[in-house]
Amino acid sequence: MTAWIDGRAVERDAAVAAAAELLAGARSPLVAGLVAEAAAVQVAYDLARTLGASVDPAASAAIYADLGALASAGAMATTPAETRGRADLVLVVGRAPWASGLARDLSADAPVRGRAAGRPRTLVALGGTGDGAVQHVAYPAGEAGIPAALGLLRGLVAGRVAGPHPLADLAARLRDALYGVVVYDPAEIGALGAEMLTGLVKDLNETTRCFALALGDPYQGRTAVQVSAWSTGQGPRVGFGRGRPEHDPWRFDAARQVAAGEVDAALWLAALPAPLPAWAGTLPTVALLGAPTGAEARVVIGVAVPGETEGAALWHPGRAVIAWQEAGASAAGAPPSAAATLADLHARLAAAPPRRSAATSELSASC
Amino acid sequence: MLTRIAGGRVVDPTAGRDSVSDVWIEDGRIVATPDRGPDRTIDAAGCIVMAGGVEVHSHIAGGNVVLARLLLPELGVAEPDAPNPHGSGRDVGLLYARMGYTTAVEPAMPPVNALATQLELAEIPLLDRGGLCVMGNDDQLLQLLRDRESADAVRDLVALNVATSRALGVKVINAGGADAFKDGAVRFSLDDEVPAYGLTSRQILDGLLDAVEALKVPHPLHVHCSNLGLPGADDSLIETLAAAEGRRIHFAHAQFYAYAAVDKDNPLTGGFRSAAPRIAEALARHPNATLDIGQVVFGQTATISLDILRQFSGRKAASPRKWIVNAGDAEGGGIVPFRYRDRGPTSSLQFAIGLEMMLLSPDPERTILTTDHPNGGPFTAYPRILHLLMDKEARDREVAAHPKVAAERSGLAAIEREYTLSEVAQLTRSGPAKLLGLTDRGHLRPGARADVAVYRDQADRTAMFARAHRVIKDGTVIVEDGEVVAWTRGRTLQLSVEADAGMARRTESYLQGRFGAGLSSFTVPDAAFPGRRADEPVFEAVACRT
Ligand SMILES: [Zn+2]
Repeated sequence: MTAWIDGRAVERDAAVAAAAELLAGARSPLVAGLVAEAAAVQVAYDLARTLGASVDPAASAAIYADLGALASAGAMATTPAETRGRADLVLVVGRAPWASGLARDLSADAPVRGRAAGRPRTLVALGGTGDGAVQHVAYPAGEAGIPAALGLLRGLVAGRVAGPHPLADLAARLRDALYGVVVYDPAEIGALGAEMLTGLVKDLNETTRCFALALGDPYQGRTAVQVSAWSTGQGPRVGFGRGRPEHDPWRFDAARQVAAGEVDAALWLAALPAPLPAWAGTLPTVALLGAPTGAEARVVIGVAVPGETEGAALWHPGRAVIAWQEAGASAAGAPPSAAATLADLHARLAAAPPRRSAATSELSASC
Repeated sequence: MLTRIAGGRVVDPTAGRDSVSDVWIEDGRIVATPDRGPDRTIDAAGCIVMAGGVEVHSHIAGGNVVLARLLLPELGVAEPDAPNPHGSGRDVGLLYARMGYTTAVEPAMPPVNALATQLELAEIPLLDRGGLCVMGNDDQLLQLLRDRESADAVRDLVALNVATSRALGVKVINAGGADAFKDGAVRFSLDDEVPAYGLTSRQILDGLLDAVEALKVPHPLHVHCSNLGLPGADDSLIETLAAAEGRRIHFAHAQFYAYAAVDKDNPLTGGFRSAAPRIAEALARHPNATLDIGQVVFGQTATISLDILRQFSGRKAASPRKWIVNAGDAEGGGIVPFRYRDRGPTSSLQFAIGLEMMLLSPDPERTILTTDHPNGGPFTAYPRILHLLMDKEARDREVAAHPKVAAERSGLAAIEREYTLSEVAQLTRSGPAKLLGLTDRGHLRPGARADVAVYRDQADRTAMFARAHRVIKDGTVIVEDGEVVAWTRGRTLQLSVEADAGMARRTESYLQGRFGAGLSSFTVPDAAFPGRRADEPVFEAVACRT
């Protein structure tokens, strides 16, 4: 079974038709989640343009912590593989890099490329101690929290803060490293923390090399960021209500919009696991799910699980890029992909244009 | 369907053609004058008819283009209701098509990020597209060179990277410079050593030049030299040209190297003067060499480059004061926002040097118009640049408004030359098409792809080239009076090159060891583009030279 309307199993085609009708009838629809392969995220943006919908990925909280810091301070970053290959010092900020296993992985080897090759790798922690299995030196963040501690550390590194200080020794380690890497989770330290961290890393590069390494989010947020950038020229929280994409991370926050009664229907896309938003049960919603039960929303359509039952372009956390992931062994009998299902839906909506038609947006884009 | 583009002034320098006549199209191709009447006539009376424009170097896709949009959201929405060259792929396609361009190449596709780059290229409508695969700072190649492996091994690794990323050609960006930067360097020249590999930039360049020749890649190695933008950078370009030793070589955004140091003993403090005559003279002596300009345009832009050493060195000039330098798995990338101050002394001199290079060109087919979008400015400046090349009076008026230093340190003011329409076609059509080895475009001879631009002949060349009267892509009218009338999707051009099975095995184990992911993770399969109809494939193969 791969399709349900009001909890009753139906033919897939009937569910897609009902989904098209539900979305076409909406005055202010929402397309959310985007926890899926790049091709599906692409069609989701195309669909939102046709519908005049707003878009909000499930990963937005983590995404915008990093995008906020990026747009105000820029970045100086490296990749997981370069960290493994070159870093002689890894500063683990907060708890999340320990929980993700990255800190432990990085402790397992030592630099093999570049001028630090042959040196040991030292792990140090700020504002969160790791598991006892990994040898590291832990520095407390202090009561003011991680962003403040990073700001202080930046002052120490730049020589603006002088005198004895608990973090002075950490500042010295960072200055002495040949290829330092500061690992963090934007969702944990927030935009302010990420901005402080960027400033710290940039200052260190006046005399040595040091880079930031952000953990990815588990919801394909970095795929959504890229698809959105090339599809709209902007970040992922956009609204197509006026035909052209408008970026506004506050206005197009799905939770805020639902709470304020600004949307009257939604499409939730989660081909990969993600927590179902509470509004899926109250707002007229079409849910495209990799692991459906049928009870999640008014219309539920099962889709292939990308990278498992279907080959897919997905965010690869180890490589930190969108990469091809072959299907696993058990692809037989899987439902169509999210991309194919959305393309079907899009074709139906384009054939019977909703209030904001494809023709209108085409026109506005070319004027 | 047989189409006749009737009564226009047809300009095709590859056929020595510049006369009022007809162009005939059938099944997406240019055909000889047939002995039957047309099914459709496009009236081109009073118009100039040329082949569709071909772009060889414009940053229109890839991770760094994405990051530039996120770093400078304000740049992409400068005029909310107008398409923006810094905006979406859709806007990029529209703006190129409107100017009569029908093919565009993204010159900096890192093999580690090929899939996202190709997904993005495929979302640029209306145009045919292609990407150049960047090598020269990647550990696997540098290991081969350091270990003095055979030229065949280097060739096989290049072939594998081109095939896996589905590239149209190969580019090298400050060979070894990114590696040197990661080890602390901030200056790096052709004979400097990449510390950890004991290899000079020259040795890496040499290996890649040989590999591209051995593979018979139609597009010569596309080279971004060291010392971009520094006084004395002309020496880097001239040394690199000598290092090519007669092998084919393309110099990217050469304007940024046409800076002779005023004070040879203190090159970095004495400022620069135009080296355009020196480079034009070198080009005349080296038929193996081509260049594109990288013309500077006044205004706010973002500089995007995989030359992270150079971008890091330029960070303090960032305006606004925020920048990105990413140390990637090979190059990574740097984004430094920059404002070419309107009529500022330095930007005016850069502006003059770019024009001077084109006006001194011994062969416009080998000095191709680019702005290195967005590095020198947006590609939408082409119409104005063509106008200035064609019109000495307009040029004099422009230069009169610039600070004196631009006239004193360049030879622009004294140049009388005015480009003819045939020379414009060489600069923007036949030259770039030949450079990319795309024999089916850049001209209007029978057999060519029916990519045609029809412009209303106007004295205001800026207006003429900015909004084509008609643009035809593969026989379909896609633009009428500057507006898109058919959103066709175009193809992505990829070189047909066989990868060696032995090198694929070696690379598989290298990639597994380094990334915990093998070759399949680096591929760009058709299945990644499921939104496209089977009869409308994303990719089109381009053959190697025979
Ligand atoms: Zn460039």
